[in-house]
Amino acid sequence: MNTNDKLVLAIPKGRILNAITPLMLRAGVELKDRLSEKYARQLQFATTDPNVEIVLVSSFDVVTFLAFGAAHLAIAGSDVLMEFNHPEVYTPVNLDVSICHLAVAAPAKQCSKKDSYRSSYMRVATKYPNLARNYFAQYGIQAECIKLNGALEMAPNLGLCCRIVDLVQTGSTLKANGLVEIAKIADVSARLAVNRTALKIRPRLVSELIERFRGAVSAT
Amino acid sequence: MNHGPIINPEKITTLPIGFRDILASRADAEAKMINVMMSIAISHGYIRVKPTLIEFENTLLKGPGAATSEKVFRLIDPISQRVIGLRADMTTQAARIASTTMIDAPRPVRLCYAGGVLHTTTNQLNPERELVQVGAEMIGNSTADADAEVILLAIELLRTVGVKWISVDIMIPALVPLLLADMQLPAEIFSVIRQAINQKDVATLKKLANSKSSILVGLLKIFGPYAEAMQDLEELDLPDKARDFLVRPAEVIKLITNFEPNLSVTVDPAESRGFEYHTGIAFSLFTRGGKNEIGRGGRYQSDEDPKSTATGFTIYLERVLQILPEDKQKPAVYIPYGTPHEQSKALRMRGQITVAGLTPVVDNYAEAKRMGCRSILLNGQTVALS
Repeated sequence: MNTNDKLVLAIPKGRILNAITPLMLRAGVELKDRLSEKYARQLQFATTDPNVEIVLVSSFDVVTFLAFGAAHLAIAGSDVLMEFNHPEVYTPVNLDVSICHLAVAAPAKQCSKKDSYRSSYMRVATKYPNLARNYFAQYGIQAECIKLNGALEMAPNLGLCCRIVDLVQTGSTLKANGLVEIAKIADVSARLAVNRTALKIRPRLVSELIERFRGAVSAT
Repeated sequence: MNHGPIINPEKITTLPIGFRDILASRADAEAKMINVMMSIAISHGYIRVKPTLIEFENTLLKGPGAATSEKVFRLIDPISQRVIGLRADMTTQAARIASTTMIDAPRPVRLCYAGGVLHTTTNQLNPERELVQVGAEMIGNSTADADAEVILLAIELLRTVGVKWISVDIMIPALVPLLLADMQLPAEIFSVIRQAINQKDVATLKKLANSKSSILVGLLKIFGPYAEAMQDLEELDLPDKARDFLVRPAEVIKLITNFEPNLSVTVDPAESRGFEYHTGIAFSLFTRGGKNEIGRGGRYQSDEDPKSTATGFTIYLERVLQILPEDKQKPAVYIPYGTPHEQSKALRMRGQITVAGLTPVVDNYAEAKRMGCRSILLNGQTVALS
């Protein structure tokens, strides 16, 4: 556990960051040095709240930092939170931004044929092997998950797999690669997450921050 | 250019995942810590027991032991041909002793123990599969004073070995199941609701639950310093049955804070994960610097006999060792070959560590340095190495 006196809030770079900036403003946690060119390589930031410091990490690493207590709080996609499903993490606030969903997609030409004889085995490319495995297991399908970090949409067409499990926002990327969504696994949005030990040993500071984010969400 | 392997597979001699040797001052610190903790528990009238490393699966997994099922390494006993398990937790073993060999001992029976346990499971956050468990159990007394006694004992043990700041988190694991039963939820959303509660996920709970869920939502927002938390709980519109569950925590908190006025005590009434077998109050012990709780415990039913209500605690020794500053290995004195035994014995009597030379060497100073000693015994005098 990070014993820094300040609360460390981990925030993912990329997609979620832009979406949460207005919320953070309303919650009174604003980056002191804006993410300008000058600070492009900086990863640790002071905020307008003297008790809170921000660290910028990749979207999948946010939950790891949080689970280990290197960060006390984090903003993370519910997709990543579900994938790791750490018992050491609470998710008290749905920030209701960066909304998309996690879906199964397959090549359009494959889906035109009705396959009433489903195989009990399937190869699936995904960034979410745990979620994908559990999802298919519900249907009696042993999913062999190939962990990819990007360009998933190409995988079925290149013969790497027959299904992908990925985030879908508008569906245009799927369409452009000749894929269709065949099932929705879960709705996804950004959450405020809290490390269990941090909440137990610094309950006042942590719950005050939780309430500020709750207030910021309901003000939208 | 050579493209041969840079790693020689024959040279890989690691232990299985989650196992590690403990060396030098750390191994010593662990053993000393166990001794200190056990002697304190014994001084409070707890009888030390040393349960077996293995047991038949059915007794190991009885009652509260069922929660450890997935962690138990199993093998077949070549003699009885029955499945035996390597213990993953010693609490059940203490309970078994109390209800078998110590059945006639006057109640309450107070037991303490320390020993290794093995877990099949491992994860990134808790990779260790071999752990040392230190604990104490009080079987056969249902009072709040018994609950308070084990909490205070756990704190005393931790304080004595050097954990300065401790926070006790009090939980009421039976409260959420009671409220859920009252809500009569459809079976298919039950596990999702349970998960939402475990994660303090207010938004999901609001979406899923029915009109009675406002109590649960209120409950999820209550956690923290005991005075406010207990007050908030009183003000929550709880059913009468649930209200009864608040009496014991209030009594126990009063007892422990009377004794330890400066102790940090928090309450988290919605938390129950990992405490599914607990029947009364449960608690976790936290400290700054630990990534996780350093101990936990609470009230449970040690066997079917209603009189066998028990309360106790477990301390995770690895986690305690991790947060304490590591003892430096004491510097040793090199004893050149041929030095009279009385001289080195005198040093040891004064608490020094001696390392004896086994053959005559040309340069005793160089040999002392090679052996990692800080000084050398020459003509009855210890001389520091430069």
